[in-house]
Amino acid sequence: MAATMKLGTLGHAASMLSTGLLDEQFQKLLLLQDGSDPNFVAETITLFCEDGERTIGELTKQLDKRCVNFDEVAAFVHKLEGGSATVGAQRVKNTCIQFLEFCKEKSRDGCLKTLDTLRVVFYDVSGKFKAMLQLEQQQAEATK
Amino acid sequence: MVSNAHGSPVKALLVEDIAVCTFVLSAMLRRFNCEIGVANNGKEAVDFFLDGKKFDIVLCDKDMPIMSGPEAVEKIRALGETDVMIVGVSADDNAMEAFMNAGADVFVHKPMKLETLGTMIQEVINKKNAMI
Repeated sequence: MAATMKLGTLGHAASMLSTGLLDEQFQKLLLLQDGSDPNFVAETITLFCEDGERTIGELTKQLDKRCVNFDEVAAFVHKLEGGSATVGAQRVKNTCIQFLEFCKEKSRDGCLKTLDTLRVVFYDVSGKFKAMLQLEQQQAEATK
Repeated sequence: MVSNAHGSPVKALLVEDIAVCTFVLSAMLRRFNCEIGVANNGKEAVDFFLDGKKFDIVLCDKDMPIMSGPEAVEKIRALGETDVMIVGVSADDNAMEAFMNAGADVFVHKPMKLETLGTMIQEVINKKNAMI
């Protein structure tokens, strides 16, 4: 059953890897899942998506202020950078790195443009992650 | 293959404010049968030591609310905790200097590799075994 479940995930992961959405760190996460922790990947992905959505919300609020605190903005971006590095969400991580440069320059315009890119990239990866989890669940129910 | 310590498991303290990072690092530490404590920021980590808790290894993120990783490392060392292996972990390329200046033993760039963690845990176990 575990092998069947993984096939769907591997298919999705392969496509996300080939387009550069994910890097090899995600493959390492798949290897951490075993019988004693069968929901590890699902829980990891869910945490990343929930955290990421919250962070993007906070970044939007921060950059909407009349007086932007770039240190606060950078702190939120660091969080998303760390989370994305941990799950292998390469494009999100790289966008965060660009974002941090604009925070250092205290460029509101740069930050706003990069936030737009971050939103697109994050929702792309989280959408595909959610589709992956749905497929896993469907396969699990089909083999019951 | 990490060989177990004769007796007690390795006690690890994870200092991290990012939930997904805590989740993944905890899973890695469980692979090596570690006992895991979790602090959500540097101050909570220092409080563990002030409460008399002992750890063999500390994995510490850099940027956290209330107290940063390097600041916590400095305070932990100032408490006389010189035996504990302290590992700075960050996605920030510039974090190494801050951690090493604060008294960390080693810096690892995020994401932590399982093999790298295994090597450090084995080093801790060898040290514990040498002391028996």
